[in-house]
Amino acid sequence: MTEPVHASPPTPGRIVVSELTKIFGGKVRAVDRLSFTVEPGSVTGFLGPNGAGKTTTLRMVLGLVRPTAGYATIGGQPYRHLGTPSRFVGAALESSSCHPARTARNHLRIMCVVAGLPEQRADAVLEMVGLRDAAKRKVRGYSMGMRQRLGLAAALLGDPAVLVLDEPANGLDPDGIRWLRGLLRHLANEGRTVLVSSHQLNEVEEVADRVVILNHGKLVQQGSIAELTAGTDRVVVRSPRLDALHAAIAQDGVRIEQVGPDALRVHGLAVEQVGHLSFAAGVELHELTAQRSDLEELFFALTTEAAAETAVQGEPE
Amino acid sequence: MIRLIRAEFLKLRTTQVWFWLLMATIAVSGLLIVAQIAPSDGVRRADQVPDMFASSSTVDIVVFVLGVLAVTTEFRYQTITPAVLQTPSRWAIVTAKMITYAIVGVIYALVAVVTQLAVAVPWLDAKNVDVEFGNGAVQHSIIGVFAVVALYGIVGLGVGALLRNQIVAVVVGLLFLLVLENVTLAIPGVRHAWPYLPNGASAAIINTGDTHVTDGVYLISTAGGVLVLVLWAVIPAIAGAAFTMNRDIT
Repeated sequence: MTEPVHASPPTPGRIVVSELTKIFGGKVRAVDRLSFTVEPGSVTGFLGPNGAGKTTTLRMVLGLVRPTAGYATIGGQPYRHLGTPSRFVGAALESSSCHPARTARNHLRIMCVVAGLPEQRADAVLEMVGLRDAAKRKVRGYSMGMRQRLGLAAALLGDPAVLVLDEPANGLDPDGIRWLRGLLRHLANEGRTVLVSSHQLNEVEEVADRVVILNHGKLVQQGSIAELTAGTDRVVVRSPRLDALHAAIAQDGVRIEQVGPDALRVHGLAVEQVGHLSFAAGVELHELTAQRSDLEELFFALTTEAAAETAVQGEPE
Repeated sequence: MIRLIRAEFLKLRTTQVWFWLLMATIAVSGLLIVAQIAPSDGVRRADQVPDMFASSSTVDIVVFVLGVLAVTTEFRYQTITPAVLQTPSRWAIVTAKMITYAIVGVIYALVAVVTQLAVAVPWLDAKNVDVEFGNGAVQHSIIGVFAVVALYGIVGLGVGALLRNQIVAVVVGLLFLLVLENVTLAIPGVRHAWPYLPNGASAAIINTGDTHVTDGVYLISTAGGVLVLVLWAVIPAIAGAAFTMNRDIT
């Protein structure tokens, strides 16, 4: 796969979502007072289980859905007020937004005409997403992964400073997902704003600098991956003298669970502290491993927690 | 706006519908001429020529279908999403389509008229019937065909924008134009509305002879016909645009 080449350095654009709310049909609260920002030069993962309100939020950011309350701006402007939006913001929403009887190249040529871009731009983005050889085939015969690539090509057409991608990894094979990660990283390194949604954390956690986690239309957490995983370290320790080890490290604020015949998992102590305490008590260790909580567990914990809260409180009014 | 119109033409050219409907236009307009000249009681006098050429207005149905498809395929294949992302003003999108499909109508009308002339002129010449292009009535018929067919493209857009569903819009539109309007003509009382329906207005635009239709029903004037058909074209298109303006695209 060739590296993307862009004509000009992009103008940075920050996405601001403020108190954004969407109520469908007067009662379904799809998005509920959601606020977050997305910074240029980074990849932001927009995460949440299916039905969390991710797509509705992105569609409000892009001016396709009118918010019930609150607002969203890109580079300080609502999407509808951007002059030629596709040259500033590139978006890929559903993967099948093309006429099946039209070729990929013609689909993009039409977009070039509207945006006032030269038609060579269509060929350039098709090359970029690896569809050059399929450019003159009708979209009808495209696989899901190829449609995703075409959607990405359309988003990249105007060499935009801001990219908004809804579930771009759906339908991509593992190779394609790896390629996508590389592309997103590259685009962010060029100073672009990249907002990418997913209901599967592992698709974005390797590439995202920040995550915004949504559940039931509400913000659950936002922050850098480092921030969100801090303070959740666990230590796995193995010893032939488990009882003595347990006695040495047990104290207030420390939770210990036995995870094997000779192994404990310790919550609330850093790996150095566990090592020091066992050394001081003269307990032999066979293993001492810092087990960082991965975001997957956090994601799962946060969303189920939010679900439990909602169940207890009943539906918000 | 120029870009949007160019894009609409490119959309039309990059699928195959335009080709098959153009073939239909040639077939229908050609067959209508044959049907009017071939029979023993067919066109034999110069004063029958204007009405004969007026028959090419039948291709208004073809352009109507093109107009319906121009809007409904965007919803069917969700191409409306990239379209609105590129052009957040939905009025601009509808206006570009209206201008485009008026031009498309003129092109299809041209094809229909040329087909009819190509068949009729040599044939009538062989029968010693003069086709007088200097004749006001002949000119009126041909210009009327252009006006009617161009406006039907926009009528189709409006119907498509209001109904959105491709099959529903095509079926409802064709039933109305081909069946329902003729039915109204058969019902006493209601039949007086017919001159103000799309077919009645088109008949008024291309008519060069008697304005009497049936029991007490008369065509309105040419100018009146143009006005009524313009309203049939523009009101549904504006209503459709206003309706889609405030709708979320989900």
